[in-house]
Amino acid sequence: MNHVIQLKALVRLSLLDLYRRKDLIVVAMLTLVVLVPMSFATPFGVKGASRYLNEIALLLVWIFMLVISMTRTARIIPTELESRTIYPLLSKPASRTLILLGRYAGVLMASLSVLLLFYTLYATINILKSAVFPWEVWLQALLLHAGFILLATSLAFLGSIFIHADANFSIIGIIVVSMLLYGQNIPVLIADQTPALRHLLKVIYWIAPHYEFFDVRTRLIHHWPAIPWLICCAAFAYAVIYSMICFGLAAWLFNRKKI
Amino acid sequence: MSSVIRIDTISKSYGECKAVSQLTLSLQAGEILGFLGTNGAGKTTTIKMLLGFFAPDSGKISVFGKDPADAVTRQRVGFMPETAYYYPYLNIYELLAFYGGLCGMSPAHIRQRTEELIERTGLQEAGDRQLKTYSKGMLQRAGIAQAILHDPDLLILDEPFTGLDPLARIHLRDLILELKAKGKTILFSSHELSEAELMCDRVAIMKAGKLVLDKPMSEVAGDGNTNLERIFLHVLETP
Repeated sequence: MNHVIQLKALVRLSLLDLYRRKDLIVVAMLTLVVLVPMSFATPFGVKGASRYLNEIALLLVWIFMLVISMTRTARIIPTELESRTIYPLLSKPASRTLILLGRYAGVLMASLSVLLLFYTLYATINILKSAVFPWEVWLQALLLHAGFILLATSLAFLGSIFIHADANFSIIGIIVVSMLLYGQNIPVLIADQTPALRHLLKVIYWIAPHYEFFDVRTRLIHHWPAIPWLICCAAFAYAVIYSMICFGLAAWLFNRKKI
Repeated sequence: MSSVIRIDTISKSYGECKAVSQLTLSLQAGEILGFLGTNGAGKTTTIKMLLGFFAPDSGKISVFGKDPADAVTRQRVGFMPETAYYYPYLNIYELLAFYGGLCGMSPAHIRQRTEELIERTGLQEAGDRQLKTYSKGMLQRAGIAQAILHDPDLLILDEPFTGLDPLARIHLRDLILELKAKGKTILFSSHELSEAELMCDRVAIMKAGKLVLDKPMSEVAGDGNTNLERIFLHVLETP
């Protein structure tokens, strides 16, 4: 019972942290500025061209979500250390693992609530424009985007235990972009390399987080058929397992950290 | 009287630097101990070990007869750090609700204690203002409120008088003496010798990681020639 009360307190703190900062409001306003004109615009008088606006809107939602969730996650522990709030926090009768879990869960919940808001807005605008909306693909895109955030934030959270927030954000940003651009090409690259390099690329392929599994924007934009739910759920399960490993490592490091 | 804190020949180093060396100290229930020393004397390192943030390299340390890192032990300990900026986007009610939750207190109990402590620390005028608008003295008062929120038996205060104006000092001193009257045990580290002289039952002086004096206040307090200030100076100037 005590653990539940403690977790609730920690989650609430993270939620208040995100909701009361101006950067979230700025990002929400920016997204609105991009999404709302979508419902009125018909570029060049060509009906199908509005898909390009959808593509831009979804790309911005991805970028904004990445920035919001990663900056907040990367700053949880460094901010506690810089402002010295870590001392009263650790002096309370809660284990370090529970403190990490509560703070991380709060940021994740706050990020996912913003994601849901963006996707709801996207769906609303598209329904206003056209009677046909691919609900199944939208649901898959939302689920996989949530998996993507889980994957990205868990790695940022692990980094935040031992790296400065800005450096952490840059490193994870590079990993995310690299994997989105080149992740699916690694198996092709492996075939042409020397044995040593082949082993190295194989290790990278198995260790690196595969963000490219989670991007189904094109299907949503062009109203393509949904992917099998088994594959969708497997990708989400991959994100959950990967983030649990990252969280376990973060807790192990944090429990040994001299503060 | 039983020992609330028992420190038995502990040492702690940071690389080559010996922060605490062979320290032995105890604190009895209901006592106020002034833990004094210059900057870098090893006071904060000792406090961190008492709070279970890390273990000593050698020696033993116990609080209420148990490992200070145990959650059960920490349920009975309140801590106020030297300077903490707390969470700037919270107001005092939310801050205390957060720390109360961490201590496993029920919402009703938190509300009751919050009202008491806001009045006791004089933070009523702050109302719903976020902590980022607080002065340093107000943050110190918020710090003491979070430290005693769960009614701990042992209170550890790290430089509690820093940033307080004379009136706030008097109020804090009264509060500490009131807690002592309720049977609480208090350890506070400070540079403020006059405050220590007014409140403490005992003083312990640290110098370069070593305990160089541990005496009841009655043996060091003022007859004009031998007051705490002179003894402090004498101890520090002795090679």
